[in-house]
This record gives sequence, C-alpha cells and structure tokens, in this order.
Amino acid sequence: MTASLGDMALTASVLIAAGAFLAAISAGRFDSDRWMKLSRTLVVLFAIIVTLACAVLIDLLLKSDFRTTYVAGYTERALPWPYKLAAFWAGQEGSLLLWTWLIAIMSAVAVFQQRKNRLAQSAGTTATLAGVSLFFAALMLYAANPFAQSAQTPPDGHGLNPLLQDPAMIAHPPMLFVGYAGFTVPFAILVGALVARRKDTAYLLPLRKWVLVSWLFLSIGIVLGAQWAYIELGWGGYWAWDPVENASLLPWLTATALLHSIIVQQQRNTFKGWNAALIACTFLLCIFGTYLTRSGVIQSVHAFPESLVGKFFLAFLIVCVVASVVILFVRRDMLVGENKIESLLSKEGLFLATNALLVLMTAVTLVGTIFPLISGPFAHEPVSVGPPFYNHVVVPMAMILLAMMATGPLLVFGPGAAGKLGRMAVVPGLVALIALAVAIVLGLHDAWSLACVAIVTFAVCSIFVDLGRVVINKWRLEGPGLIGHVIMTLDANHRRYGGQLVHVGMLMVMVGIAGSSLFGQTHQLSLTPGQPVKVGRYEITLSKLEEIREGHFTAVQASVMLQPPSGDPIAMRPQVRFYDKSEQSNTEVALRWTLREDVYLTLAGWDANGTSAGIQAMVNPLVSWIWIGAGVLTLGALFGLLPRMFPEPRAAAGIALPITAPGNALPKCTSQ
Amino acid sequence: MEHMRAKLIVAALVLIGAVAYLAVAGAKKGWVYYLDVDQYLQQKSYQTQRVRLCGRVAVDDLHVERQAFRASFVLLGPTQRIGVDYKGVVPDLFTSDADVVLEGKLGNDGRFKADVLMTKCASKYQAEEHAKRLEDPQ
Repeated sequence: MTASLGDMALTASVLIAAGAFLAAISAGRFDSDRWMKLSRTLVVLFAIIVTLACAVLIDLLLKSDFRTTYVAGYTERALPWPYKLAAFWAGQEGSLLLWTWLIAIMSAVAVFQQRKNRLAQSAGTTATLAGVSLFFAALMLYAANPFAQSAQTPPDGHGLNPLLQDPAMIAHPPMLFVGYAGFTVPFAILVGALVARRKDTAYLLPLRKWVLVSWLFLSIGIVLGAQWAYIELGWGGYWAWDPVENASLLPWLTATALLHSIIVQQQRNTFKGWNAALIACTFLLCIFGTYLTRSGVIQSVHAFPESLVGKFFLAFLIVCVVASVVILFVRRDMLVGENKIESLLSKEGLFLATNALLVLMTAVTLVGTIFPLISGPFAHEPVSVGPPFYNHVVVPMAMILLAMMATGPLLVFGPGAAGKLGRMAVVPGLVALIALAVAIVLGLHDAWSLACVAIVTFAVCSIFVDLGRVVINKWRLEGPGLIGHVIMTLDANHRRYGGQLVHVGMLMVMVGIAGSSLFGQTHQLSLTPGQPVKVGRYEITLSKLEEIREGHFTAVQASVMLQPPSGDPIAMRPQVRFYDKSEQSNTEVALRWTLREDVYLTLAGWDANGTSAGIQAMVNPLVSWIWIGAGVLTLGALFGLLPRMFPEPRAAAGIALPITAPGNALPKCTSQ
Repeated sequence: MEHMRAKLIVAALVLIGAVAYLAVAGAKKGWVYYLDVDQYLQQKSYQTQRVRLCGRVAVDDLHVERQAFRASFVLLGPTQRIGVDYKGVVPDLFTSDADVVLEGKLGNDGRFKADVLMTKCASKYQAEEHAKRLEDPQ
C-alpha cells in the first residue's frame, strides 16, 4: 500500500461524508426512506474508507516508509514494532486520524442501533454524525494530512520522543479519543430526539449507555495520562493543572454530572433542558479543549505548535455552538420538565446539588484555564493562575461532592426522603465518628485529612447499610441464604450497584490524592557510595554509579539500596538515558510502591569522576490507591453496563414487589 | 410550588456566592504574571512579587550542576537579558538555547531566583524541526 492510496481514501472520505450529510438532510426534508437508507449506507462506507486510510498509515509506519513526512517524523528503523504502531497517534496528524476513525466506527454503530426510530429522528441523528465526520475528514485532508510526502527520502527517521516510549503513553491517547469521539453520539441522539419532537424518555436509555461508555474511556485515559506523568516525567506528581490536562477534565466533569441527572429524567421526567444543555456542553467541551491545546492560544508546557488545525477547530466550534443554541432554542417547548422537584432533601434534590457542584467545578476550571486570555481587563500582561488557584477552589468543592456521594445511597426519590435518611444514617455516622477518633489518636491532625477519613468511612458504610437493608428484606421474605441474596440483589439493579462500585473507586482515588498531596516528602540528596542517608522511615545508600548500554540507548545508572524499617533491603536503579536518536537525556525513575506509600527516586546528576550522585528522593503516601481506585471504577462502570444475568424468580418477585416498591412503576428500580 | 422555586433559587445563589468567593480568594493566591524578560525588567512592581518568566537560555554563561540541584544561566528576552539562579532538579530537556518557563522572585543580588523550571517540550519536540533539518542539513 502506498501513501497515495491513503490520500485517495481521505479525498473519498470527504465526498462520502458530505453525501451522507446531504442525504440525511434530504431524508428529513422530504420524509423519504430512500434517502435515509442511502445516508445510512454512506455512513457505513465512510467507516470503511477511513479504516482503509488507517490501514495504509499502519502499513507505512511498519515498513518505515520515510518518504512520508509523518513516518519519518515519529519513527526510526531501530524502534521496536509496537512503538512504530503507537507512533500512529504520537503526532498531530495521526492522532486526528485516530479520532476520525473512532467517530466513523461509532457513527456506523449508532446509525445501525438507531435505525428503527422514526424517520425524522434517524435523520437528525445521522445528519449530526455525518456533519461531524465531514468536519474531521476535511480537517485531515486540508490541514493535517498524515500522508504528506517529502521531496527526498531521508536515510532514517527522527525517532519517537523518548518520553512517549512508555506503555501508559501507548494506551493513553486512544482511550482519551474514544471518550471524545464517543460524546458525539449522545449529542447526535439528542438532536434526533429534538428534531422528531420525542416527548418520551425511551431515547435516554441508549443515550446514557453511550455517555457511560465514553465517560469510562475518558476516565481511563485521564488516569493513564496521570500515571504516565508520574512515572515518566520525573517530578513526582501526576497532575499539574496544565491546560492540556484541564481540557480532558472539563468534558469529564460535565459527563459525570450528566450520568446522574439523566437518571432523574428517566425516573421523574424532569431536568430535561438541563440534560440537553449538559449533553451539548460535553460534546462542545471536547472540541473546545482540542482547539485550546492545538491552536497555541494558551501557553502550555506541552501544547502543539500553532497550525491551521487550530483555526479549523475554532471555526467548527463556532458552528457547533451556534447550531446547538439554535436547536435548543427552537425546541425549547420540549425541554420543560413534566414534574417539579418536591423536596431538596431527596434523591433528586441531591442529584441536582451534585450537578450544580460539578458544573460549577467545570466553570471554575474553565475560567482558570483560559485566565491568561480573559485577564486583559484586570492586568496589562497575561496573568495565569497556577495550581494554588485550583487547590483552593476545586478541592473544597470536591470534598463537598464527596460528602454528597456518601449520603447518596441513603436517600430515596420523592418526598419523605429526609426522615428515612435520619434513620439510616445512624450506623454510618457512628462508624465515621469511631474512625475519626481512631485517626486522631493515631496522630492525624490535619483538618482536610480528618474530613476525608470521616467522609470516606461514612460513604463506604452507607453503601453497605443500603445493600444490607435490601438483603435483610430478601432474607425475611424468601428465607435464609446470604450469598445468593447478595448476588440476586446486585444483579437486580446493575445501574445502582455499578454506580456504587464506581463511587468506591472514586473514594479510593480521592484518598490517594489527599494522602499524596498532604503528606508527600521531597529530599534532595548528594550521595557518596557507602554513605547511608535517612529519608523518612527509610535509609538509602548509593552502592555504585555506572554506564550501561541497552537496546537503542545508553544510560547512566545509580544502584541504590533502600532499607525499609523492617525486612530486607531493596535494590533500586534510577537512570538517566541517552537515546541514540534524541539530543536530550531522559530520566528513568526508580519506583518502589506499596499500599502505604511509594518511594520515588530520580537521578538528577553526578559529578564527572563518578564519586557522587545527586538523587531526589520522594516519599509519596497512598499514591497506589489512585490506580487501584481507577481499576475499581472501571469494574463498576462495566458492571453497570452488563445486562441482568439471572432471571428474577417469579414467585419471589410477586411477593417482594409490593413491599419494597410501593407505587413505583419500575419494579427493577425498587431500591432507588 | 412557588415556595420550592424560591428555595431552589436561594440555594443556587448561596452556592454560586460561595464558589465565587472561593474563586476570588483562590485567584488572589494563585495570581501569577506570565512575562518575558523585557516586560519584567520594565515594570518595577513586577520585581517585588512572584512571577512566571519565559524566555530562551543564552548559550554563554551556563553553569549546570545537576548533582547539586542547581543551575545558573542567563535568560534572554526579545532585547534584554537577566541572570538566573535555579535551585531544584534540572530537567532533562534543559540545555542552552532551550525555551523555558521559570517561576520565582528577584533576589537581592539582582538575579532572578527560580524554584520552578519547566522546559517547553514534549509534543512540540518534533517533526517540524526534523523537516527543517532535512531541508537544510547545516
């Protein structure tokens, strides 16, 4: 396969996407099934042709076709093949192609999934998806063509940035892009429902699934990015409130809000306008974040160079904002809820508060990110607000959010929730008080961490109390059998218990963030061989400094013995690597992780004759809980997506229903 | 129902007020000017506070002692220059001619004392420069 084939595929993809868009519009306009079928076929064809373009790029990368500028720019002959493959998304052009491909595949799936809908609805959804596809195809062809050729073929490529040669970095961008691309689909489904004036909530079920899947991938992407920064960048942190990081956090926050408020709309048919706005905002924030980071308007440590891509995204952003506002305005009569909120202290009241906080967090993060652009009226020179801003504003909000998360399982929908809450909060409240006392006795005095201990204990307890209540009910009605009852209870409501598990994961992440940011220690040490130095509870000794050769790099390596308070010493080897194709050196951190704390060593430098080394030693408490929490969160979301596995025993259902679900139309949601 | 609406509005106002208060307090704490060397040297008021300074590292007068966690160098602006003493881990990508972002304050000796040093990098490191080198080997 040659680059010209890829070029042809891109050209064809623009025409096909334009065709699909026009056909969908015509289908809606003339109420024609024929046009609709044509549009659907073209969307599938678009997916096929973009897949072909991807295959061409993979082929060029694997066979090191350095005529192609992109291949020469991001790979070299000596690069191991998995990294050659990963170079697909190492640069601007390739990563945009990946995004386009994901949109193409998801559009094809969504169009197929939504084919049974009313014509006008399908037309609206398909036109939106095709419109977004058209933008990306045109962007590739005119502003970021990965198949561009150079005048002569260089003997070898430039190589892949050593910082990107890391497993977490291979997985991070695709995960993020699945999330970004995925948020297009809920937006398209919403447009379809609005165009067709759907008043029911049936369209929300697939919509929420798309949001959940995209949210899950975006979460994994963000965590992998944090892990990469932690392991690879060598400064010992995982989040720096950099614009690029914030850009991925913004849609995550609105999507998190959305996941909660859609439930209220499903149950009570309210929050309609709010949800529609959130769906649109989530999609728009993905585009906005990309514009921000790829246009060079914001100074970021890792921004892309200024290019035409930024202008394309700005134009697209404006079109999308205008289109969203127009469609929401034209259909504003459909966005009025049928029920009003009856009590603030109820599940829907709590969901509303959760939403308000998450949206405010989004707003604050957004303002902080674009502060250099909007600070004009207040200052002569650009002003940026660094991490202290976010730590002072977002962290307290996150704490309140955590507290609301803790009471969530104890509240029910509708009026009368407050009284039940009082009764059910007794046990978790007592346990939280005990935990608080234990923490103080153990010597914890910091207010934030004490709040964290109390809230986390309360939250975990209330999840168990809630589950226990349902299981005990079952036990009473259906006879003894603990494990069976637990499994049946969990299986009866995947969304609820999947959500609870996600909350547990989130709590773990928060514990990790709190622990490492409040109690981290940094020591900058000058070590001479054989001289032990104390670092927190540990003692570290430099045994030797040597030069080693491995694969396509040479490294200076410090062999360090780490002596924990008890047990055997552990050998650690921080390095500074010099990759053959890179002019800069690259630090390779040595990390020893336990559930309690990480020891994180960076080789900062050495003197010319090798008799001493500068080593930065950090003790980062509880960091591993962030990664474990992310794993639990993933499991929770997956559980939430699974369909029911065991059928409900009929007799039991007949008895259980009137008792646990008085007046609830949906027997599956009894315990909500 | 009207009663509920009023309650909601009050709750929203309280929440927004609290967040706005937090945001203003946070902005005051985190307020950092982002300047180049020329802008920094022009205004005396910048020189008494913590700022973020960007520029290019001069080729001459560069002393890096990585094992002792310090570097001193000259930072170039569009027309002016300033001496810098940095204390901390010297990043890998730090060399002469690198684009860097510093954070710190002016010291009594007239040199800028930085405790944050970031090199502009990663995704920028790249193809473009490579292409330039291809076209113009020298």
